[in-house]
Amino acid sequence: MKRTFRFLILLCVMLIPLGCSNDNPSSPETEKQPDPVQEVELMISAAASLTDALDEMKPLFESEHPDVSLKFNFGSSGKLAQMITQGAPADVFLSASEKDMNTLQDNNLIIEETRSHFTENELVLITNKENPVSLTSFEEIDAATVEHFSIGEPESVPVGRYTKEMLEHLGLWTSLQNNLVFGSDVRQVLTHVEMGNTEIGVVYASDAQISPKVKVIATADADWHEPIVYPGAVVSESLHVEEAKQFLTFLTGDEGKTILQKYGFK
Amino acid sequence: MNGTDYTPLLLSLKVAGISTVIVFVLGVFFAHVFARRTFFGKGVIESLFLLPLVLPPTVVGFGLLILFGKKGWIGSWLLNWFDIQIVFTWIGAVIASIVVSFPLMYQSAVAAFENLDTRLENAARTMGASEWRVFWTISFRLAWPGLLAGLVLSFARGLGEFGATLMLAGYIPGKTDTIPMAIYFAVESGQMEKATFWVVIIVALGFSTIMWLNWWSRRNMRRYKNDVG
Amino acid sequence: MLDVNINKQLPHFLLDIAFQVEDEILVLFGPSGAGKTTILNIIAGLEHPDTGHILLNERSFFQNGHKPLPTQKRNVGYLFQDYALFPHMTVAHNIAYGVDKKAQAEASLLINQLVEVLGIPHLLPKYPHQISGGEKQRVALARALATAPSLLLLDEPLSALDRETRLECQKELLRLHQIWKIPFIIVTHDLDEAKKLGDRILFLEHGAVRTNR
Repeated sequence: MKRTFRFLILLCVMLIPLGCSNDNPSSPETEKQPDPVQEVELMISAAASLTDALDEMKPLFESEHPDVSLKFNFGSSGKLAQMITQGAPADVFLSASEKDMNTLQDNNLIIEETRSHFTENELVLITNKENPVSLTSFEEIDAATVEHFSIGEPESVPVGRYTKEMLEHLGLWTSLQNNLVFGSDVRQVLTHVEMGNTEIGVVYASDAQISPKVKVIATADADWHEPIVYPGAVVSESLHVEEAKQFLTFLTGDEGKTILQKYGFK
Repeated sequence: MNGTDYTPLLLSLKVAGISTVIVFVLGVFFAHVFARRTFFGKGVIESLFLLPLVLPPTVVGFGLLILFGKKGWIGSWLLNWFDIQIVFTWIGAVIASIVVSFPLMYQSAVAAFENLDTRLENAARTMGASEWRVFWTISFRLAWPGLLAGLVLSFARGLGEFGATLMLAGYIPGKTDTIPMAIYFAVESGQMEKATFWVVIIVALGFSTIMWLNWWSRRNMRRYKNDVG
Repeated sequence: MLDVNINKQLPHFLLDIAFQVEDEILVLFGPSGAGKTTILNIIAGLEHPDTGHILLNERSFFQNGHKPLPTQKRNVGYLFQDYALFPHMTVAHNIAYGVDKKAQAEASLLINQLVEVLGIPHLLPKYPHQISGGEKQRVALARALATAPSLLLLDEPLSALDRETRLECQKELLRLHQIWKIPFIIVTHDLDEAKKLGDRILFLEHGAVRTNR
């Protein structure tokens, strides 16, 4: 008799948690129900130089398109193109070089009619803000007065390729051979000038803009090198083509332009 | 490949060779001083020694730039007083190589000295041998297999050093382009044939060095076996 | 004459001992861990006492308030337990290790004599790993005496040997002492051996002398 009683108590105790969960039924579910529209997540694969500008655009774009949220994958254009070729998820590709965009287009990996140039960049000659050299233009660069001149590696780094074209155009390439220090990316070129290890360097205007330790001496004429254009396009594999197009429109619209200009793009 | 420029090979051998000699002397010295002594702060110093082993190469490279850059603490001093520039020269490559391979040499040397039978050194002392003679004729000789292993590892590590070297020595063809740099930039610019060529060379170099070490130790170890008693 | 009077705090007990040795064989007898080897190390200068003094023929090895005389200058022969022969050197090089390069001519005479007395000329070109335990013991003896020491310390000199070799080596030791006539201090934990070899025996326990015979 006593044992049965105990058993009943035990049974009641075990039932309490079940009762509890039945008391306030499905409160999370009711919250979800009035929001039937699935939120779209756009994956933007973008050249690293666009990082700051895109980060500033994100809240603006998302507030205008509440159903879309942006995710970024920053890297060098070549690497991103390679990743997309290998099937990495991406909706939009924002490249810093036409070459990489062409590779994707040749393989039908982007939707051709969505391709457009959303911005341009310029080459600038920079020097250390605290220990500036007395140059005022590219033409004045002289192997005798400049000991080290850092540029991007011309075969593998886009900014290096443009710099080489420019220096060849100005007839300086050969005479400066012994002064050139090649960086493996634009950041390294910037670091060398920031730390005062090279007197001058050539980077994109947008890179010079974000470094507080360098000063721009001169800007290269656009016809000294191939135009530095930033092509963007919707990736063929994208499941959200409409939203991706909206983002490209936003980028080339007034709001996008203003932000890009703020970060040194043209 | 016709007309191959062999400077990366010669430069790599020069940089790894010089750095190995320096690392060997420093590593053996510090290991011998530290191996059987305990003192306040030893743990901190040893951790500092081994730090480059666990830090990413770019961090090591950045640290070296801060020290040896033209405006760096040591770099500016060397430049002003001795007119020696470290950044963007092969000396920079040597320094980067020293810093990353020192931990390997130090660890091997400490292990080698710690394993020595102290009685052998004491026996030499009772026979009137000076501390230097004890070190040179007993400790060093008996620790040699371990020291040699450290030496070979350091050389191989120096040969393969890339990240810190790129930051400190920069990439200047004909001046600071060691084999790993030649490979990196060949791959980045899609020159796969050139990259493959240098990969084969550096694999062959590393492989033969380690093979030689194994062969040598199998042949000579017995004589060094400490078979007192 | 060796005059020892030393104090040293060891992890488990206080080493506190005083004795004098003429040109005789003194045996330090006691269980392992009684501080025997420490006493030899202190006399050789490999360790130092906290307080006390050590004098050998009026030369001070250690004295309160003075810098201890370094091992290298004490001219003490030390036969280590397990002999501590240098494995990377031939027997000949082992024996000649402590010989001053300048005094080579005189020394080689002494070494020849030693090698003859100990009967080891055929071992000279061999390496330690190629010879037997008894042979190692003789080589180690020859090595310890090659520097013409004024005192010989022997740490368990016979413990690694089989019974037969051991008896032979005991005779050898006594004979050597007859020839050399310097103080020998022998550490052992074998009472028979202690009785056979020692002119005097110090019974040690926990770092102190128990009975003096």
